[in-house]
Amino acid sequence: MIGEISHFLSFLSGLIFLAVFLLSIPMYSSSSSLQRFVPNIFFVAVLSLFLSFSLFVYLALTDDFSMRYIASHSNTNLPGFYKVSSIWSAHEGSLFLWIVFLGLWGIIFWLFYNSKEDLYVETLGIISLILFLFLAFLLLVSSPFERLLPISPFEGNDINPVLQDPALAIHPPMLYLGYVGFIIAFAFNSAYLIKQDFTEYPVARIKNFSLIAWAFLTLGITLGSWWAYYELGWGGYWFWDPVENVALMPWLAATALVHMLFVSNQSKSIKAWTIFLSLLVFALSLFGAFIVRSGIIDSVHSFANDPTRGLYLLLISSVIVSIPLFYYLRFLPNLFSQQSIKVLSKEYFISLNNVLFLTGIFIIFLGVLYPLFMEFFFDDRISVGAPYYNLLFAPLAFVAASTMVLSTDSLWSRPNSLQEILRGSLIASIASSIVTVIIALLTDTFAWWFLGGLFFSLLIFFKYLQSVIISYLDQTKVNVASMIAHFGFGMLIMTISLNAALSSEKTFSMKTGSSAIFADYNFTFDNLSKLSKSNHDVLEATFIFEDDKNKFLLKPQKRKYFTRGEITTESAIKIFPLHDVYITIGEQQTSGGWIVNVQLNYYTRWIWVAAVIMTLGILLSMRKKKYV
Amino acid sequence: MKEHRKKRLIRALSIVLVSALGVGTILYALNSNLDYFFTPSEMLMNDESKNISSSRRVKLGGMVKENSFSITGSIISFEITDFKETILVSYEGLLPDLFKEGKGIVVLGKMHNEVFYAEEVFAKHDENYMPPNLDLDSS
Repeated sequence: MIGEISHFLSFLSGLIFLAVFLLSIPMYSSSSSLQRFVPNIFFVAVLSLFLSFSLFVYLALTDDFSMRYIASHSNTNLPGFYKVSSIWSAHEGSLFLWIVFLGLWGIIFWLFYNSKEDLYVETLGIISLILFLFLAFLLLVSSPFERLLPISPFEGNDINPVLQDPALAIHPPMLYLGYVGFIIAFAFNSAYLIKQDFTEYPVARIKNFSLIAWAFLTLGITLGSWWAYYELGWGGYWFWDPVENVALMPWLAATALVHMLFVSNQSKSIKAWTIFLSLLVFALSLFGAFIVRSGIIDSVHSFANDPTRGLYLLLISSVIVSIPLFYYLRFLPNLFSQQSIKVLSKEYFISLNNVLFLTGIFIIFLGVLYPLFMEFFFDDRISVGAPYYNLLFAPLAFVAASTMVLSTDSLWSRPNSLQEILRGSLIASIASSIVTVIIALLTDTFAWWFLGGLFFSLLIFFKYLQSVIISYLDQTKVNVASMIAHFGFGMLIMTISLNAALSSEKTFSMKTGSSAIFADYNFTFDNLSKLSKSNHDVLEATFIFEDDKNKFLLKPQKRKYFTRGEITTESAIKIFPLHDVYITIGEQQTSGGWIVNVQLNYYTRWIWVAAVIMTLGILLSMRKKKYV
Repeated sequence: MKEHRKKRLIRALSIVLVSALGVGTILYALNSNLDYFFTPSEMLMNDESKNISSSRRVKLGGMVKENSFSITGSIISFEITDFKETILVSYEGLLPDLFKEGKGIVVLGKMHNEVFYAEEVFAKHDENYMPPNLDLDSS
C-alpha cells in the first residue's frame, strides 16, 4: 500500500510541475496576476515529491521485498545506513534521488531568491519543466515502483560489497547535489534569454547557488577519488576512466562559470561568456547522466546496459538544452556590449582562462567519444588511456597557472603594458626557478612535467606571497577568498607532480615468516588468520614493517561475501604526514607463497587537501559583495 | 580605415592559426596514445595496417584458458584464448578480484617474442563480463 502511495505522489508531483511550467509561460509577455500563486503550486509539487521519496526510504528500511527494486539491491543483513544507500546503488533509485535533488535545489531557489525580483516565476517554470520531463522518464521507462507480486522473496539480493562503504554511500549524493545545483544557473539564464530583455543582467543574484553547487561537486569528486584509493586496491587516486571523465567535464565548465560569476558585475563585456557557460555546465551534467546510464561506454562505474533508456535520456536532454541554445545563438549579437575586449586587460585574461577551460573540456570530450566514433564507423576497437590525458593536461595546467599569475597585475577595461605585467611577476619567477632547481637536484628527477609542475605551482605561491607583503606595506586589502582558492590550485599542481615523481611500488612473492626490503622498509610476513563476520569471511595477513624510526603492523585482507560469493581485496594503509605505506595481498601460489604488492604513495592525501582548500576559498567568497 | 581592417584580419588569422595548432596537437597526442583492442586471433594475424609491433601498447581480450594459470616468483602467467588462437601472458602485480580461469579478461601491454607482457589486468565489476566480439566467436 505504501509503495502505491509513494508511486502516486511521484506521479502527482510530475503533473503539478507540468502545471507550474504552463502557468509560467504568460509571464514572458506580461506581468500577470498568476505571479502570486505559481510559487505556491511549485511548493506543493516539491512537497509531494519529497513525501514520495521519504515513503520509498521507509520501504527500504523496513525490507519490503515486494518492491522489485528493493529486493534486487538490499538485504535484511545490511545495517540501516546501507539499506538507505542501496537506493542509489543502481539506475532507477539513483535517478529517483537525482530528481529529488533537482526538487531540493528548486525549493532552495524558492526560499532564498527574492520573489519580487524579475525572472523569479520564469526560472521556477523552467526548473519545473525539467522536473516534469525527468519524472516522466522515471515513471515511464525506469520505474523503481514495480511490485513483485503475488510471490515476493524473503530475502533481498544484497548490494555489491565494494559499495558497502561509508565514503561511497555519500559520494553519489554529494556529486548529484553538485551537478544538479547548476540547474539554477541554467534555468535563470534560459529564462533571461527567452524573455529577450537584455538591458540588465542581474546574474549576481544566483551567484551563491552556483558556488554551493561547485563546492558539492568538488567534494563529491574528491570523496570518489579517496574511496577508489583505499577500496579498489590499485593505490591510485585518478584513473581517467570514462565515467570519471564525464564528471570532470562539468567540473571544468563549472569552474570557468564560477570565475565569470565573480567578474560579471565588474565588467559587462563578458556577459555572452557567462550565459554560455551556465548552459554548458548543465548540458555536460546531462551528458554525463546519459553516458553513465545508457551503457554505451564500458566502465567500472556505469550502470547496467539499456540502450532504450539512453535514447530517452538523449531525447530529454536535447529538448532541455536546445531551447535556450536556440535563443542564445539567435540573440548572440545583442549579448555583446559595444566596447570590445582590450588586449591585456583583466577581461582579456578572463577570456583566455575560459578558452583554457574549454580546451580541457574538448580534450576529454574527444577522448571519451573518439573510441565510440571509431567503433561505429570503422569497426576498430580502441581505447584512450591515461597517457593521452596526462600529456595534454600538464601543459594546460601550466598555461592556466601563468595566465592566473599574470592577470593579477592587469586592470579592468584598459590594457596594462606587457612590460608592466611581466615585471610584476619577475621576482616570483626568479624565486620559483631557484627553488625548482633545488628540489629537482634533491629528488634527482628532471622530467619536464615535474619541473613544470614545481615551477608553476611555486610561481603561484610566491606571487601571492608578494601581493600579501605589498598590500601589508601599502595598507590595502587583499581578496583573501580568491587567494585561498588559487593557493589550493597551486597546491593541486604541486602535489600531483610530487606524487607522480616520488611514488613507487613493487610486487613480492612471500611465504609466512619470510622478509623483504622495499625502499627504507624491512618487512616481514608474520601470520595469516581466518575470521568470520556477519556477512563475509575474512583472510587477514599481518605484516610487520620496520625502518630506522618506526615499527608498525599492517593487516591487508581478502574477503569473501556470502550472498553473492564475491571476493574483495582490502588494502592496509599506514599514514605518515607526507606518504602512505600501502599494501595489498593477491593470489596464493601453488608453492604456498602469496603475491604481495607494496606501494609508497607520496602526497596523495595532500591532493585531496588541495581540493578542500579550493572549496574553502569558494565558500569564503560567498559573504562578499564586490570582487576584484 | 584600412589600418583597422588590416588589424582585424591579423587578429582573425592568428585566432585560426592558434586553434588549428591546438587542435592539431590534441589530435596528434590522441593518435599516439590510442590503445587498440585485439582478440588473440587478430593479434597473431599480424595485420600490418593495425601496426602491432613490440613498441605499441595494445589491449588483448579473451578468456583465461583453463589450467593455464601459474605463478613463479612474483611473475604470474596465464593464457588468453578466443578458442582459435592462444597467447601466453606474463604479468607482475596484483590480479583483480574477479580474475578466474574460464572467465573473460582484458590485459593492456606489449607483445614481445610471442609473449604478451601485461602492464595492467582489468578489473570488471561484473561477473558476467565478456570482452567485445568474443561471445559471438565462441559459439
